Amino acid sequence: MAQQRALPQSKETLLQSYNKRLKDDVKSVMDNFTEIIKSAKIEDETQVSRATQGEQDNYEMHVRAANIVRAGESLMKLVSDLKQFLILNDFPSVNEAIDQRNQQLRALQEECDRKLIALRDEVSIDLYELEEEYYSSRYR
Amino acid sequence: MATYSLANERLRALEDIEREIGAILQNAGTVILELSKEKTNERLLDRQAAAFTASVQHVEAELSGQIRYLTQVATGQPHEGSSYSSRKDCQMALKRVDYARLKLSDVARTCEQMLE
Repeated sequence: MAQQRALPQSKETLLQSYNKRLKDDVKSVMDNFTEIIKSAKIEDETQVSRATQGEQDNYEMHVRAANIVRAGESLMKLVSDLKQFLILNDFPSVNEAIDQRNQQLRALQEECDRKLIALRDEVSIDLYELEEEYYSSRYR
Repeated sequence: MATYSLANERLRALEDIEREIGAILQNAGTVILELSKEKTNERLLDRQAAAFTASVQHVEAELSGQIRYLTQVATGQPHEGSSYSSRKDCQMALKRVDYARLKLSDVARTCEQMLE
């Protein structure tokens, strides 16, 4: 069971603000969409002339559509902020990423050293023969 | 290249949520466009409206889950781990390989010169 640690005030406030933004944006999308659908209903009796009512409905739908788009963009910004927060503060993932990188680099280093040692053994045999040839020649 | 599975899983989930938000706006647009027609296709309308509602609820649930997870794991401290030491060791190993290659090429050149 995960234990709730005492977060610093700023981080806790930040996470609460994320929750609030999420709820507000989702509510905005749903409410504005519902109101657009409602205003699509054709009324038989209107307080003003049909033309005026039509203009009003048109303007209202524009505003509500813009609100839906604004809420959508705000949600995208929230997702971007959450990604940033995750990269910086999700310690289990960061620890695992660091461990994996360390393992990968250590494996590469061991491979290089192993191959160098094998190369050293082969070259020492050839060098022995080269030395014999050189010291028994007239060029030494 | 190693895959950082755990870290990328959550980031990939967030990217899917971003795509779904785009789909939400598109569904909303399709529903309103369909309503504006003289002869509406009711089945398409119902399907798109249901997809819109389901997507909104799914996005809200997923993002709440991510925020809840972050509330549990965030400590407020900066992470001080690094892979610098193993990176340095690996870099030195690669330098040793380069040096060995350089010396071997010197020996090979010397042997060729002697043969000439």
